[in-house]
Amino acid sequence: MTTSGPDVIHVEDLEKKFGRFVAVDRISFSVKKGEIFGFLGPNGAGKSTTIRMLCGIIKPTSGHGVVAGHDIFTDAEEIKGSIGYMSQRFSLYEDMTPFENIRFYLGVYSVPLEEWDDRIEWVFEMTRLQDVRHRLARELPPGWRQRLALGCALLHRPEIVFLDEPTSGVDPITRRHFWEFIDHLARAGVTVFVTTHYMDEAHNCERIVMINEGSIVATGSPSKIIGEVFPDRADADLNDVFIRLMARRNE
Amino acid sequence: MRLVSVKAVARKEFYHLMRDLRSLYLAFFIPLLLIFLFGYALSLDVDNVKTVVVDHDKTQLSRDFILKLNASSYFDVIHHLPHTHAVTRYLDQGLATMAITIPPGWTKDINADREAPIQVLLDGSDPNFAGLSRGYITSFVEEYNRDRLLDFLNRKGREEIKPPVDGRIRVWFNEELESRNFILPGIIAIIIMIVGAILTSLVIAREYENGTMETVRSLPIRGGEFLLGKAIPYFFIGLTDVLVAIFMGQVLFGVVMKSNFWLMVLASIIYLSVALSLGLLISVITKSQLVANQLAIIITYLPSLLLSNFVFPIGNMPKVLQIAAYIVPATYFIDILNGLYLRNLGLSHLWPSYLVLVAMFMALSTMTFAMLKREGM
Repeated sequence: MTTSGPDVIHVEDLEKKFGRFVAVDRISFSVKKGEIFGFLGPNGAGKSTTIRMLCGIIKPTSGHGVVAGHDIFTDAEEIKGSIGYMSQRFSLYEDMTPFENIRFYLGVYSVPLEEWDDRIEWVFEMTRLQDVRHRLARELPPGWRQRLALGCALLHRPEIVFLDEPTSGVDPITRRHFWEFIDHLARAGVTVFVTTHYMDEAHNCERIVMINEGSIVATGSPSKIIGEVFPDRADADLNDVFIRLMARRNE
Repeated sequence: MRLVSVKAVARKEFYHLMRDLRSLYLAFFIPLLLIFLFGYALSLDVDNVKTVVVDHDKTQLSRDFILKLNASSYFDVIHHLPHTHAVTRYLDQGLATMAITIPPGWTKDINADREAPIQVLLDGSDPNFAGLSRGYITSFVEEYNRDRLLDFLNRKGREEIKPPVDGRIRVWFNEELESRNFILPGIIAIIIMIVGAILTSLVIAREYENGTMETVRSLPIRGGEFLLGKAIPYFFIGLTDVLVAIFMGQVLFGVVMKSNFWLMVLASIIYLSVALSLGLLISVITKSQLVANQLAIIITYLPSLLLSNFVFPIGNMPKVLQIAAYIVPATYFIDILNGLYLRNLGLSHLWPSYLVLVAMFMALSTMTFAMLKREGM
């Protein structure tokens, strides 16, 4: 995997305030094409707020940001068309079948009608859900629903996928399959921006940013960050780093 | 506006509707139930007032009086009771709503030119009903007196005497004074509110409750496409219900629309659009199905029933309620229905009400649109 491509996400001094509360405090970072980029932090650190700004769902208070070549202040709709987004709550309609869910996404992503059959087959093959295509989504196990949600977010062949805690509430085996699939995606040139609070998962990321109380506290590859925070401990892992960095601010 | 997006949302909404028993029930069963209920059972007309009589006089004349009473379509003599105290039981238990007692010596009094009272007891627990019954019995007695008087004079050999003032009453617009003729059109207004506003008040709130709103926000879909797609299934269901109501009114209940059918369709479409945008607005604001449902009932269904001139005349309301009544969309729709169904009016008379409804639709949909924009769509 190479991380030498051009930047597909670039933000500078990005800030979001809700009233007087600063949710995201002037953060800057960039993500390269085809990279698996981890965005870590405890609950309430500003992870979801950042993702929502990058996806064009909410407007930042100040700063600059470009996602897939579009300005996050002015081109929200263009951004929405070139990214895929899967949030921590399953983004499916549970009273609809996988087939119906997929058709809904194809429609709202304005995928040309003549491509629908191909895309539908592609998603079913990728998610291995052919056999349950006409069962209601609510009857499927969580892991399957998660694959379907991801499949739906990829239907329009986005350049970037944002995954907001995609594996919460999913068993370890399914999580492993999920990460294998993420690798596969990145190799195909899709940029993956993922938030998680499972530190073992963060090791799958090429680069991570740790955020606490709205500010970035660490940036780099997992091994680089571990080395920086614990220069003299060979057995330290990301969990230790996380606890150390998050505690530091709370003192 | 991209049609493919609108279609995707509409189709999705249709699946939700078809798989939600409660919505289906509101969309199809309740309208039919209302038509049957209001068409068959609920009538504001008073006829065949259940009457018991106690005849202490037992003469040819008193029997004749009772026979005449029973022959009138307004009264139905269900029992002849021997004693006055038996009357109490009939009124208490609601078996009869009127009791007439003819005292002993009644015929004698009449023949001796004395005052000859009869006692009429009315069940006043339903004031409207009792009031109408009182009117009927009063005019019945007056007519009876007049007939007797004329009969008497004629028998005395005088030439036929006619009472000087003869009020010739003709009722316009609803010749038989059938309450059904205005209740059934009014029901259409209620049905449209149920399908249009109460059902759609759930549809955006549902997205919030299930967390799917977050996903919808991340999709490249515009607020207008989203709202239109959401409204389409309910629009067609509402229109179907209206057509069924018109048809059933005509076939089952003989309520015939006098004016142009297409004016009715046009009015229904506009009013339905008002209801839909009101429902969607409630949905965006409340974000909770339960609250949305309650609010929709309070601000759409109840005013449509109570403040719209449908059940209670606006003219009789206190000033504050009169003002409130003029912001209730149903008031204007009922006005149109009245004009189309009963008065045979056309656009030349009804256009102000059409216009008000169009303005309401534009205001409400603009507000819904703005609210959705604030939510990041």
